[in-house]
Amino acid sequence: MTINTPVTDARPAISLRNVTKTFDAGGGLVHALDDIDLDIAPGAFVSLLGPSGCGKSTLLRVIGDLVKPTEGVVEVNGRSAEAARKAREYGMAFQAPGLMDWRTIRRNIELPLQVQGVPRNERRARAEEMLELVRLTGFENHRPRQLSGGMQQRVAIARALAFQPKLLLMDEPLGALDEMNREYLQRELLRIWRSTGTTIVFVTHSVSEAVFLSTEVVVMSPRPGRIADRIPIDLPYPRTDETRMTEEFYHAESRVRTALHSVLEPVQVG
Amino acid sequence: MTQLSVAAPVRLSIRGNVVRAVYPAVLVGAVILIAWELAVHLFNIQPYLLPAPSAIVAEFGKSFSTIASAAQITTIAVIGGALLGAATGVIAAFIVALFEKFANTVLVLVAILSCAPVVALAPIFNAWFGATSLMSKIAVAAIMVFFPVMVATTKGLLSVHPLHRELMESLSASRFQLMVWVRIPGAVPSLFDGMRVGATLSVIGIIVAEYFGGTANALGVLIANSAALSQFPLTWAAVAAASLLGLVVYGAVMLIERLVAPWRFTPASR
Ligand SMILES: Nc1ncnc2c1ncn2[C@@H]1O[C@H](COP(=O)(O)OP(=O)(O)OP(=O)(O)O)[C@@H](O)[C@H]1O
Ligand SMILES: [Mg+2]
Repeated sequence: MTINTPVTDARPAISLRNVTKTFDAGGGLVHALDDIDLDIAPGAFVSLLGPSGCGKSTLLRVIGDLVKPTEGVVEVNGRSAEAARKAREYGMAFQAPGLMDWRTIRRNIELPLQVQGVPRNERRARAEEMLELVRLTGFENHRPRQLSGGMQQRVAIARALAFQPKLLLMDEPLGALDEMNREYLQRELLRIWRSTGTTIVFVTHSVSEAVFLSTEVVVMSPRPGRIADRIPIDLPYPRTDETRMTEEFYHAESRVRTALHSVLEPVQVG
Repeated sequence: MTQLSVAAPVRLSIRGNVVRAVYPAVLVGAVILIAWELAVHLFNIQPYLLPAPSAIVAEFGKSFSTIASAAQITTIAVIGGALLGAATGVIAAFIVALFEKFANTVLVLVAILSCAPVVALAPIFNAWFGATSLMSKIAVAAIMVFFPVMVATTKGLLSVHPLHRELMESLSASRFQLMVWVRIPGAVPSLFDGMRVGATLSVIGIIVAEYFGGTANALGVLIANSAALSQFPLTWAAVAAASLLGLVVYGAVMLIERLVAPWRFTPASR
């Protein structure tokens, strides 16, 4: 039912060809992305892993058509990324919650639905559902500033999931959470992904999180931002808390960690 | 249920904040008044130079009906000037914000224009609208209020939080949706910053415009005439009434802000 390993003969959901992005950051060019080639199969759960500043957020923004690549092409389901964005196929959660102070928590979650013109009652019901999912029932009428950083992050996740996007682009969405809530939301995210068939691109700094969630881990290297390694994770779904304690999980983790270390350790000085 | 029990302490703490904010100012004011009173008696300062606060209060009581009837027309003019200035300022800000490219040029022009001493226009407006016409006073105050409101509101409408912009872009929201759900609510605090400056200016504008002649029964006229007749305690009492009017207008703006933008006053959780 669920596609656990990328199906190579199907048309990719996301396809990047020779994508390069340079920023002209006053005083010099920053090569945030250099010649990225990446195909992501429909229904895949791909994690981007790499040291700070290696271009993960930039890659996510390029896929989401929020940043235009300097060179190269991004295609989403055979169309341009722009067409996909215009067709409202993306749900995004950014590295910071970015909630709107002037909206209550419930109305923050309703925003994507409001943009799409979903009727009020339906919006409300959906927001309630999402609040329950991120375990914040009872906070619907609070203001963002009254919530802790981790709680705000969970609201941002709820907002990204509020409508059922074809593609979910999430930038360290669980970064600010406590261990309990993080593992809970990892399980929920997997459940949603498996029941909806959404394609997810997920940025994280946690090796075990990447392994637990993903069908594939993409390890990136910095300056210039490149894809250093792609590691398929063959652990069977459904993955549960027991999965984390299996030998296979440990092996997968070790492989990803080794790839990450070869990126982090300065092999040649110069 | 939860909502009620959570909302109550928040309300209370807002009231506590107001008391805490006002209390030092009241204390300093009281100290100054006492020092003033003592100085007048100790150094035997003549009433035509500086009457004691007690003498001003006594005069205020004695001439209350005179002052009150003079304050009526002035109050109407102040409210008229503030509303007209604020309304035109907000409308102008919207027009400028629609043409984002030219906004900065316009703001520079407005900054240059706002250096002109607008009160100097009062005699001209007297000639245009007739010295006894309320409009000749309102126009002066309205122009003075217009500038800070227009500049602050334009800046507010133009400065969108980058994450909010990206979020709306990722949802492929229309320009109209961005305006209504992000730009306008985001500009409300700036609008009120401008309005608070404008509140003070509207009183100055009206009083000074009244110095240049008009209906006999107005605070500015009362101040000018009583001073010409050396009735200094009455002059001071009228000045005190004008200050009070300024305070009331300022307070009204703050009150309206609390009603329109309650999110600005919810205390942060951290
Ligand atoms: N708008 C921008 N203007 C200039 N430089 C930028 C911009 N956005 C990103 N960069 C640069 O591009 C590089 C990659 O940034 P990016 O945010 O993609 O890194 P990241 O992998 O997400 O890092 P982190 O893990 O810390 O979030 C950095 O060197 C950054 O300084
Ligand atoms: Mg990042």
